[in-house]
Amino acid sequence: MPRAAVPWLLIGPSLVLAVVVIFYPFVEIVDLSLHDVSPFGIVRGFVGLANYAGALADPVFQGAVLRTLEWTAAVVGGTVLISLPVALVLAEDFHGRGIARTLVLLPWSISLAMAAIVWLWSFNGDYGMVNAVLQQVGLIAKPVQWMARGSTAFPVEIGVGILVSIPFTVTILVGGLASIPGEIYEAARIDGAGPFAQFRWMTLPLLRPFVTIAVVLNMIYVFNSFPIIWVMTEGGPDNSTHILVTYLYELAFRIGQPGLAAAVSVAMLAIVSAITMVYLRLEEREAA
Amino acid sequence: MKRKSLARSALCWLVLAPLILIVLFPFAVMLSTALKPTAEVLQYPPRWIPRHIDWGSFPAMWRQADFGTAVLNSLAISIGATALALVVSIPAAYAVARLAFAAKNVYRRFLLVTQMLSPVLLVLGLFRMAAAVPFGEGTLVNTRIVVIVIYAAFNIAFAVWMLSAYFAAIPRDLEEAAWIDGCTKPRAVLSVFLPMAVPAIAVTAIVTFVNGWNEFVVALTMLRSPDKQTVTLSVVNLVAGRYSVAWNQVMAAALLATVPVAVIFAWLQRYLVQGLTLGGVK
Amino acid sequence: MKPGAHGSAQAGVRRRPLIAAAGSALMLAPLAARAATSLHVTVAEYSNATGPYFMQMAKEFEAANPGVTVHIDVVSWDTLLQTLQTDISGGVTPDLSIIGTRWLLTFVKDGVAEPLDHFMTPAFRDRFIGTFLEPGEINGTVYGLPIAASARAMFYNTEMLTKAGFPDGPKTWDDVVAASRKIKAAGGYGFGLQGKEIETDVYWYYALWSYGGELIDKQGKAAFDSPAGIKALTLYQMMVQQGLTQPGVTDYTREDVQNLFKQGRVGMMITAPFLINQIAAEAPKLQYGICPVPRGTTSATYAVTDSIVMFGNSHAKDTAWKFLDFLFTKGPRVQFNKNEGFLPTIKAVATDPYFADNPRLQVFVKLLPVAQFAPTVPGWEGMAQAVVDAVQSVYLGKATPQAALKLAAEQADRALKQG
Repeated sequence: MPRAAVPWLLIGPSLVLAVVVIFYPFVEIVDLSLHDVSPFGIVRGFVGLANYAGALADPVFQGAVLRTLEWTAAVVGGTVLISLPVALVLAEDFHGRGIARTLVLLPWSISLAMAAIVWLWSFNGDYGMVNAVLQQVGLIAKPVQWMARGSTAFPVEIGVGILVSIPFTVTILVGGLASIPGEIYEAARIDGAGPFAQFRWMTLPLLRPFVTIAVVLNMIYVFNSFPIIWVMTEGGPDNSTHILVTYLYELAFRIGQPGLAAAVSVAMLAIVSAITMVYLRLEEREAA
Repeated sequence: MKRKSLARSALCWLVLAPLILIVLFPFAVMLSTALKPTAEVLQYPPRWIPRHIDWGSFPAMWRQADFGTAVLNSLAISIGATALALVVSIPAAYAVARLAFAAKNVYRRFLLVTQMLSPVLLVLGLFRMAAAVPFGEGTLVNTRIVVIVIYAAFNIAFAVWMLSAYFAAIPRDLEEAAWIDGCTKPRAVLSVFLPMAVPAIAVTAIVTFVNGWNEFVVALTMLRSPDKQTVTLSVVNLVAGRYSVAWNQVMAAALLATVPVAVIFAWLQRYLVQGLTLGGVK
Repeated sequence: MKPGAHGSAQAGVRRRPLIAAAGSALMLAPLAARAATSLHVTVAEYSNATGPYFMQMAKEFEAANPGVTVHIDVVSWDTLLQTLQTDISGGVTPDLSIIGTRWLLTFVKDGVAEPLDHFMTPAFRDRFIGTFLEPGEINGTVYGLPIAASARAMFYNTEMLTKAGFPDGPKTWDDVVAASRKIKAAGGYGFGLQGKEIETDVYWYYALWSYGGELIDKQGKAAFDSPAGIKALTLYQMMVQQGLTQPGVTDYTREDVQNLFKQGRVGMMITAPFLINQIAAEAPKLQYGICPVPRGTTSATYAVTDSIVMFGNSHAKDTAWKFLDFLFTKGPRVQFNKNEGFLPTIKAVATDPYFADNPRLQVFVKLLPVAQFAPTVPGWEGMAQAVVDAVQSVYLGKATPQAALKLAAEQADRALKQG
């Protein structure tokens, strides 16, 4: 067996699987996006870029683009801001650490769709326990209809998004913290560095690659995250909580415009790869 | 840094308390609602502790959603997807970590792109593909196999990234020593390298398993007959598009669907962190 | 016309994914083999009873027809469109499926629905109540049979409405407003207004039609931004603003409003007869009455049917027809209508004492002469979404009725054109 063939043999199966399962359907989607497609998926005729033009001209699409960026930034930013201190604590050695770690990881064990259902029920204006608790502690005087308007529904959805993203992020960060050798802290303490200085000048830089990974992966997951918003508000009321992926789903499977939906899919891939590339470039430049 | 004092522990718990409260909140809601008799579910104002505790939602839901079958389906699909993802990703990760080859960077970029395409974007294309492949009496639609293959494919990117980072951290010397001892190269991989990689493989397996257990859109599109439903699907079906929703049964189902995975996490959290630790980042 | 002719013609029109070409040769043999005996039926889930009902019907049919197996797939209404779309697009349709009748025109246009006329004897046709058979006819040909039918009327809480001075329910929208003011003063919610998810648009059509408005004009263009439409939406807007509805209407699905009604917290709401069954099961003590949808300038209500259709590329059309024939006999129909609380679609059921002597259901039946059916137009879903967005923006106080309806009519025209 020629040596040069070995790597190809090893990556071959994964390559075949990914190409067949991911790229073949993607080509189909690109193809659909260039056609007029009936509500029941029958391809009617080639229309060139008309679907893309149609999407771009739709104010709901424009709103969804901005909201997707807001959603991704808020969820990823919030997740990292909360996960960092939590990971720092969980990396410490303290009584009951195993239990604490399990508890923090717990949201990972509920599927997103189910978590969204449970939270939707919790935020129900009439029977939900969120209103009950807030009324008990006196934060609100009468029940709030959280899902009735985008200005309250969307922040709630962002909160749920953050909560379910924390476990994965904390796991990566705790892993990163554990890989920092303890001796360098000893050395720093001898040099007279306080806890804050240690964190700022040692922990943070050493943790940086882990943060980058967490941000990139979360960005991709959150950008494409469908169940939370779909289950809780279906993008409504009056399109005030639509992100691209819920808009795409509504177009394809509720309104019956698969061609338009396919164009939105392709646009989404373009946007998410652009964001990822820009972020990775910025990171590389900063790290250098 | 081994100072495990009580005061320090209390401080740690104090910092974590708000998050843990929010994490536990939905579980309390699930339990509280699941134990309410139907007449109390929609009582206003709501209360945490039901006036009458009623365990009836659990058996009722079990029958209604055919929960036993759904659990078996979810297990079969998640385990199948995990196994397939590992079988193709381990060799690929080994190649990326250990071998020099021209296409390595292209391959990695390719994986990053596959990671960006989520199943929701592709669901129509995936279905058309499944419908075009003959299988048994019909096509791949409504088979667990197609769901397994799709889940595996969408997990390759994460699995290869995770495994290759860890593999790179395993010292080469051990394998080389085995060659000198007369081992063939493939044998050295099997007997020396793989055993050391077990923690990383375990972590990758958990993440893939959980992704499969939780996935919703692909399962919804591909699995049609009631005897093929997964747990997530059957819970969502208790809510979606009904003329009336039995919330106590929904919460009972959500609770039961969560417990097995929560137990796995409690048991494996130590390895989870350790696996990611040694993996480091490439 | 021979049934087989249609299947092959349509298969030619359908565009298959690339790899299908390779697969199709292999596919033909097994499909043909199973055709004689196996029937696939997709049913939409109305309630917990729907799945078990059809499974039981399948068993009875199998017992009477040895060698036939019937597979029932139960799909929620939320995902029915997606299921059909993927099935049709992938070329793997079931033999029979329940669909919303409003999709039928697109089905026919896409050439996926089998015309049923050649199966139907005059005696079979005569089983049906004419009003309900009509929506399933496209250009004079029957494509869908009415599996479910409902009309809408107003449910009112007798105690609350008696105190408010309308013991027999409100007759006009002015009555509704007057009653709601009294109910509000007594601490309740007057008019239950749905503002979220499926049929949010319909809840506004009730008022639109009662003021003599129409959805689509004779040229097939959106016509709901008429003075009648503005009047109807202004009425709802006023009730929201003055607190005559429940608060936060855009957080209430039809089911949520029904729950308020069952608990005696809301005085009036408009919904389908299935609420009768739910109240009997969940709130048997509730005192309530049913009256026609309030009048504006005229009397109107909404009637809707769901159809069961046969797919053109079914390989077991005769067996599928036999199953349909069985489903539309008296026994199965009575049980279905009782389970789900729908109106009879065949005459034999309408004369059954359970329906004929049920005063509550009779209110709905008496409304049928003034009922409006959803127009069968392509692009209905797009129009409905535009209307939902419009009424929500008004309920939320973000737009005036005039502006919102004008925008929605423009969007609806686009959707109707694309279809």
